[in-house]
Amino acid sequence: MLIDGLLIGGLIIVVGIGFSLCFGVMHIVDFAVGEWVMLGAYTGFILVRYFGHDPMIYLPIVFLIFCALGWAIYPLIYRAVSGKRHNPVLMGLVFTFGLSILAKGGALSVWGYHIQSITTWLSGKSLALGPLTIPALRFSGFLFGILITLLLMLFLYKTRLGITIRATAQDREMANLLGTDVRKVGALVYSLYAGVTGMSGILIGALFSIHAAMGVKYCTMAFFVVVLAGMGYVPGVIIAGLILGLLQSFVGVYIGGRYNLLALFMVMYGVLLITPKGILRRGI
Amino acid sequence: MPLKNAHTQPHTSAPSWRWALLGLALLIAFLLPWPLSPLWIRIATEVIMWAGLAQSWNIIGGYTGYLSFGHGAFFGVGAYMTGIVMLHLGWPFALGLLISGIAAALMAVIIGYPTLRLRGAYFAIATWAFGEMIRQIATILEITGGAFGMQLPSYLNLPFFYYLFLLVTGLTYLTTYLLLERSPFGYKLLAIREHEEAAEMVGVDTVTIKIKAFALSAFFPGVLGGIYAYWVTYIHPDSVLGAQLTDFMVVMAFLGGIGSLWGPFLGAVVVQLVNRVLWLVWGEGTFYLIIIGAAICTVVLFIPSGIIGLLQSRIFLPGTAWKEIRKKVKW
Repeated sequence: MLIDGLLIGGLIIVVGIGFSLCFGVMHIVDFAVGEWVMLGAYTGFILVRYFGHDPMIYLPIVFLIFCALGWAIYPLIYRAVSGKRHNPVLMGLVFTFGLSILAKGGALSVWGYHIQSITTWLSGKSLALGPLTIPALRFSGFLFGILITLLLMLFLYKTRLGITIRATAQDREMANLLGTDVRKVGALVYSLYAGVTGMSGILIGALFSIHAAMGVKYCTMAFFVVVLAGMGYVPGVIIAGLILGLLQSFVGVYIGGRYNLLALFMVMYGVLLITPKGILRRGI
Repeated sequence: MPLKNAHTQPHTSAPSWRWALLGLALLIAFLLPWPLSPLWIRIATEVIMWAGLAQSWNIIGGYTGYLSFGHGAFFGVGAYMTGIVMLHLGWPFALGLLISGIAAALMAVIIGYPTLRLRGAYFAIATWAFGEMIRQIATILEITGGAFGMQLPSYLNLPFFYYLFLLVTGLTYLTTYLLLERSPFGYKLLAIREHEEAAEMVGVDTVTIKIKAFALSAFFPGVLGGIYAYWVTYIHPDSVLGAQLTDFMVVMAFLGGIGSLWGPFLGAVVVQLVNRVLWLVWGEGTFYLIIIGAAICTVVLFIPSGIIGLLQSRIFLPGTAWKEIRKKVKW
């Protein structure tokens, strides 16, 4: 059961990293994060329905589609958080909040309240690891999470572009002075984040179920992970994701499934009050 | 940051035609239930309730600059308080309303003390987490009826609820006008919104002022929630603590224009009427979410001062209209 939680945590880490990067670089809290997951899941679902094949094949395609979407939306977000506004951070917050209402409303109007699911060749199979049996799909979701996390980390820490992104996150003004086009870095980060989140949407959709109002749940999880990690501190997301998984399994087993969300929100609220910079005190 | 808001300018006395307009609007509001069918009385009642809720949110979100994304919790607590007082204690409705309002304000003081230290996005997320927490608690507790909710004694008297909502919403606007537009308290809030450190430096007791504003903005949703519970007679966590409550408060205030007295009112009228007209035309649907989402994005991008900002500029005078619109709508 503990393993189960860890496996789900792996997927949430992917969403959390993009989200955290977004906050670090652009100071945007994206309320639409759950909607990206939802749209990604639906895109996967539609691709499978019209073209067949296994959903796993579509992961790169969905990544590209959502990168493009993120790139297209970014100028609007940039507009909302810059310029002579009263309170840029809050304007960004409300703007993404509007986006999330728009996406949720659109999905509800088009697909209604039906619950869909994606089946892959892994569904229903399981792996035997010594004394443990693990559902193959969960395991592959976890592997996917680890893989993407590693790739992102490599990108952020080993490439020039990644270093630029981290520099911008650390000190926006200074990076700008030293010749970084902050706006372009923002666009890059946002499209990367949208792509990765949309892509994990397929796996989340395959693991659980797809419906138009599913966004809230993943929005909650992403917020939880990022708050625990310290907003904007990327490596913390990995630990926080694992804590999320463990907490979910623990509460589910020992206290009762209906206390799951309550525990999540209580921990999130408590962490924000006690150490707003996250449990590692490394956030911004 | 320069102080550009109209409310930071010294107040000049309002021209008399404005008072006449207000009197006319009140007269219409009083006479409204006579010509209307029960359906439209319901819709009018909803509009008035939302106008009050949006204004309450505006006190903390618009005037103080602290975006509360968990304001629905105060409405829900008010609704449940009235329910518990009437159902389990058997006390009268009026007492329930009073207890609801005080409970909501007290809760705001207790959670405001630690939460209001957070700023910007952190405050928004913390209040959001808190609001959802309250909802989960209501789903679990025995006394609130869990996920099934509560059935209150029914009292079928549409005009009674209409006038009660009108009274409380009117009080909300009167309080906002007197305390926020016409008193030092309001200026202190604006100072906190514009530059908190500077406000503190010149001697504004920011902690106390913020908590007072938060309690004030929680009191009215508590009372409105109590009336709502008795009005619809059946409440459950999704109906009185759902995310849509906070969503709508934020959307209405932003659409109408935050930090202004009449902005939230206009926003509430527009959003709720559009919502209900769509509902009448197409039946139960989710299409209004698309419209609302698109509207809020447009407002943030192009008209940060909201509908009221457009109206306050002189767009109705010939010759200046286009210039004023160009000034307000930022490209």
